[in-house]
Amino acid sequence: MAKTYDYLFKLLLIGDSGVGKTCVLFRFSEDAFNTTFISTIGIDFKIRTIELDGKKIKLQIWDTAGQERFRTITTAYYRGAMGIMLVYDITNEKSFENIKNWIRNIEENASADVEKMLLGNKCELNEKRQVTKERGEQLAIEYGIKFMETSAKASIHVEEAFFTLARDIKTKMEKKLEASNPPKGGHQLKSYEPQRKPPSWLSRCTLL
Amino acid sequence: MDNPQLDTGSQHHELFLQEIEGIDDYWGPTFRAIYDGDEHQKFMERLDARIKSHDKDIERMCNFHYQGFIDSIRELLQVRSQAKNLNSEIVEIDQELQTSTANVLVKGEALVQARKVESNIASAIKNLSLCLPVLTTYAKLQRQMKEKRYYPALKTLEQLEHLYLPQVANYRFSHQMKQNIPKLRENIKEASMSDLRDFLENIRKFSPKIGEVAMRHTAEQLGSDPGIIGRKKRQAPPLPNPFTGEVDYEQPAESTYDAEEDLSAQDLIDFSPVYRCLHIYTVLGSRETFETYYRKQRKKQARLVLQPPTNMHETIAGYQAYIHGIVGFFVVEDHVLNTGNGLVNRTYLDEVWSMALSKIVNALRTHSAYCTDATLMLKIKNLIMLFNTTLRNYGYSVNQLFDLLHEIRDHYNEVLMQRWVQVFREILDEESFLPIQVSSQAEYDNVVESFPFHDQALELTPFPKRFPFSPLVPKVYQQVKEFIYACLKFSEDLNLSQAAVDDMVRKSTNLLLTRSFSGCLSSLFRKPSLALLQVIQIIIDTGYLENATVYLEEFVSNITGAPKESHMGSRGQGQSSMFRVARDDAEHQICDKLKWKLDEFLELENYDWLLVEPKGHASSFITDLIAFLQSIFISFTNLPPEVAQEACKSACEHIAKSVLGFMLSEDVKQISMGALQQVNLDTIQCEQFAASEPVAGLEEGALLHYFADLRQLLDLFMTWDWPTYFHDYGQENSKYQQVNPNTAIILLEKLREADKKNVFSVLKKSERDKKKLLETVLKQLRQLALTAQQQ
Repeated sequence: MAKTYDYLFKLLLIGDSGVGKTCVLFRFSEDAFNTTFISTIGIDFKIRTIELDGKKIKLQIWDTAGQERFRTITTAYYRGAMGIMLVYDITNEKSFENIKNWIRNIEENASADVEKMLLGNKCELNEKRQVTKERGEQLAIEYGIKFMETSAKASIHVEEAFFTLARDIKTKMEKKLEASNPPKGGHQLKSYEPQRKPPSWLSRCTLL
Repeated sequence: MDNPQLDTGSQHHELFLQEIEGIDDYWGPTFRAIYDGDEHQKFMERLDARIKSHDKDIERMCNFHYQGFIDSIRELLQVRSQAKNLNSEIVEIDQELQTSTANVLVKGEALVQARKVESNIASAIKNLSLCLPVLTTYAKLQRQMKEKRYYPALKTLEQLEHLYLPQVANYRFSHQMKQNIPKLRENIKEASMSDLRDFLENIRKFSPKIGEVAMRHTAEQLGSDPGIIGRKKRQAPPLPNPFTGEVDYEQPAESTYDAEEDLSAQDLIDFSPVYRCLHIYTVLGSRETFETYYRKQRKKQARLVLQPPTNMHETIAGYQAYIHGIVGFFVVEDHVLNTGNGLVNRTYLDEVWSMALSKIVNALRTHSAYCTDATLMLKIKNLIMLFNTTLRNYGYSVNQLFDLLHEIRDHYNEVLMQRWVQVFREILDEESFLPIQVSSQAEYDNVVESFPFHDQALELTPFPKRFPFSPLVPKVYQQVKEFIYACLKFSEDLNLSQAAVDDMVRKSTNLLLTRSFSGCLSSLFRKPSLALLQVIQIIIDTGYLENATVYLEEFVSNITGAPKESHMGSRGQGQSSMFRVARDDAEHQICDKLKWKLDEFLELENYDWLLVEPKGHASSFITDLIAFLQSIFISFTNLPPEVAQEACKSACEHIAKSVLGFMLSEDVKQISMGALQQVNLDTIQCEQFAASEPVAGLEEGALLHYFADLRQLLDLFMTWDWPTYFHDYGQENSKYQQVNPNTAIILLEKLREADKKNVFSVLKKSERDKKKLLETVLKQLRQLALTAQQQ
């Protein structure tokens, strides 16, 4: 069977209920927007294939329910995630404050080297804004992660956010592969071209 | 004398003398006689003597008369003067007379003249008095014509022709009049006809108004006392008849019309032109022509009235205008029937009505078919009902229209369904498909009130309570009720039996749920944004809705009042399946959605088919898939068991087929043993899941059964147990009963291909043997496949 992709990245969307995780995902996977609010039950995922530096990358993006009652189901998915999108709603102060809790959740459940990114969604509702862009940026710097303000409704920065996260994961993974898995040739179908000598392990932590 | 001789001579002389004296003439013979005698001397002497005697006599006499003569002359002279006097006197008198008579004469002349004039005048008067009636009648005629009182004019004309004109036949004007009479008749005819035309035009203008009024009266009547509808035929109120009493005699019934009956519709229009025209034509002997004309014209008008306005279906006003026009027409005809002295008879009217009825039915049917607005349809229905009642009151048969109403009702139901499709769509669009959560008694009561759900356990649990179903359930339940009400609304006063209404409501409700609601659900299912778990909630919801069917049944029976038996009877096939279709669809959908989701996982498959050594654990897409399935099936616990089981079965079947499909795919040309072992590992993972009883109530091994094909094939290849395979082939209890030789061939060929890559294999003896064995097995398999095919 012909390979339809080179990499598979598992991403996770987390954040308070109603911040628009499902909408962001819907915008990214179907390029559409659904105005009616349907609360996500448990967990669901979408798959979209993107191309980065000539590589086909499948993004399997897990959409978790923000509601507390689904917490046990959703945390199970943290471990396998290679990238996590932390989403808050710029018109909802509480959702921004809760990001701290979500980060703690990640630290407890996800693998340590998971790529993270902070998204301030609903940026099209500027007149209802409660969280300034600066505060978002500040928080991201605090955690050493990237930040973007997005709008699933107006289709602002959604693509960019996922591409950025995917690119970061790819970079990190390639570095890791080079370091730990020098090419053996032969049966490996996925030919990871080793271009550089394994760089310092420290570089893995430098993000932004 | 003297001598006798002498004496005799003398005597003769004497005689002669006497003769001369005596005779004046004719003296000849005497003279001869004298001369004949010889005595003529003597006779001479005698004659002288005699003359002397006579002279002497004359002298004496003259002496004697002289005085007298003088006196006479004197007197004569006197007479002459007197005569002269007399003459002048006479002349004078004459003169006087002349002068006095001249005057008389003048007077006389004048008198004669006067007399003449007098007699002329008298004769003139006599003649004039004969002519006068003619002229007055004629004038009257003209006046009547001018005043458009044609019927009196006609009478006058009659009088003129037969009574007056013959008396004055020899006048030129009377001739003219006589000649004019037919023309006048014609004029009257025409004039009355033109009046009639005006009337017809008028009536066409007023017909809708009349119709409207008539219908309003009916509506009022219905409103005040619905019991009397159709109880009696309404008498058309009489009109002041323009003709002296005749018509009234023929219509004694009219006098009995009761005063409380409204006058009204017909008051709007003056029918006299019709009566007049009819009378005139009757009098003129061409009643037939008139009747034909009138009926023809009215039929034409009927056709016009029956032509519905093109945009009638758009508003109720269009229908009203149309219906009013028709009612107006027939009310007028009815009135003419009752008062028109046979101008219009029942047969004709029935004919027009039946023509009209079919057209009305057609027009209404066509136009109402365009209608997509239920409210408008209700209005149309009410309009038609009123129309029916009104016309029935006038004695027209309206049964066909009731049939039409039944048709429209079906259409109305369709329209309702369209509307409810919208309602359902909106409900579904806004639905979150999350179980209802209530935090207070009030909220709880609210839900329980709108949907018949009673659960002891739920009642006992503390707040916040969670209903098993989503808000969709009470909303849809309420809407179905609304729909039933809406359905009934049309059947109201449609004179249907309760059973029929009941049947209709059930049918439509059934259709609504099986078709419309299910349709909405299936279009919802097609939305990519609908998650699997939401489908699950929908299935649960439809389950509750289905359970509530009984209450809907009761609800229908209560409002239609149909006996319970009929409702029990129809229940078996109809009602209980009301939500069945939606549920079936949802259940079907869950399998599809699940498969779809599984496919997304399976697309992530990235087997390295030339893998030398298996990784020692299942592929990540399989572990993810299994994890996902597990979490999904946890939520399946709320589903009806058979649905969950079905979904689970189909999921396992799908996975097994897909995994098998990976290996057999034409895109995969070579498969290493290592890769096969990896597939085996993945399959084991799946089998573990299948064995873990992810859904309760399945028979043991029921899920594993789906992996049997895959398992046997993998086992066969893992253990390289070909002897057993060939030995047991075709036997019931074979270990590899499910392995098709053709499948084995495909896989074996792929293994062979992979082996070819292994350059070193040719060098080792064991490898060579292995290869030889593989070829032998392949050969045997081909044989087997061939015989299997032949069988």
